[in-house]
Amino acid sequence: MLAAAAATALEIGEAAPMSSVKMKNVDGRELSLAESAGPNGLLVVFTCNHCPWARAWEERIVALGNACRGKGIGVVAVNSNDPSEYTEDGYEPMQARAKEKGFEFPYVVDATSGVARAFGATKTPEAYLFDAHGKLVYAGAVDDNAKDPGAVKAQYLKDALDAVAGGRPVTIARTKALGCSIKFR
Amino acid sequence: MSSRRQRRGRWWNGYFGAAAAVVALAGVGAVAGCRQRSAAPTNGTPSAPSTGTPELQSAGVHDLLQLVRAPGAKAVVVNVWATWCVPCREELPDLLRVERDYRARGLRLVLVSADFDTSADEARAFLSRHGVDFQTYLKSGSDMEFIDGLSLKWSGALPATFVFDGAGTLREFWEGKATYEIFAAKVQAIIDAPAAGGTRG
Repeated sequence: MLAAAAATALEIGEAAPMSSVKMKNVDGRELSLAESAGPNGLLVVFTCNHCPWARAWEERIVALGNACRGKGIGVVAVNSNDPSEYTEDGYEPMQARAKEKGFEFPYVVDATSGVARAFGATKTPEAYLFDAHGKLVYAGAVDDNAKDPGAVKAQYLKDALDAVAGGRPVTIARTKALGCSIKFR
Repeated sequence: MSSRRQRRGRWWNGYFGAAAAVVALAGVGAVAGCRQRSAAPTNGTPSAPSTGTPELQSAGVHDLLQLVRAPGAKAVVVNVWATWCVPCREELPDLLRVERDYRARGLRLVLVSADFDTSADEARAFLSRHGVDFQTYLKSGSDMEFIDGLSLKWSGALPATFVFDGAGTLREFWEGKATYEIFAAKVQAIIDAPAAGGTRG
């Protein structure tokens, strides 16, 4: 119930943990983070259906995620929540949401919440970007304004994705934003 | 009482000097005054709804830290919650019982909603249903500054609770829902061991 958090958060430079663990995608297939990586990197976003902060950023996450294929970056959205706490986070609602919002990337079930625990992820939404060498180069928020896309001053995740796609260093490696605690199983 | 917009324009335009101190102390005074007016029971029963729940006051992290450091408390609990956060809503009644039971022993409770300002009325309505009759706050300003200003260990997940001692030093912090027993034990420990020189952040 209580968590110190952050102390076990994935460090910049580390590889994605549990990268071979198979997770069920909304299309019924099982896939792993390792299988999902692109030649230029991998974006993992812990998100869910119910969280208002995830929903506030959802269209931006989808737009960025859908653009990743063209940048050679694989994308996986991971839902680690226990759906017994929020039925909106169940498999069928995930399928419906992915279809409704036009996800062009996997939206998978972290069936034990083990992947979130291994990443040290504590909330949704939370983005983790790995470069072509599989090293974490960015962790944190999509941008600096959940409520108002028009008022965003810092597009943290987009800038990090562009840097990775271009083989450049990521300028701001770690950011924070408010969000819903992950409902661990 | 001025509107939230007027308060933001008057007080939260970047000048966090004397004006912020005055507002923070006025907020603390409002808390103390409301506590004196409150006649809520301390036998563990839930609070009755309140018709005297003040509008949430917009506050950035510097304002909140001034509230934390304002003299007169032996322990200060800052709890960050939101109407959309189910564990936040679930723990609030226990937190409010702790506030009632420990206020005479020197506890100051600072409730900060992380709702968007468009949901401030909903937040106030929720607090009113739980009998809150003291000033509470609506987070303003950048998320990162707010999160790191309270604790570098905080990831930003809600609910989050921070327990400061009477000297304004952060002594305990956790993410996730707590119970009456946990809140009470943490507060009692601070009251029993004041100003132990714990580190902030």
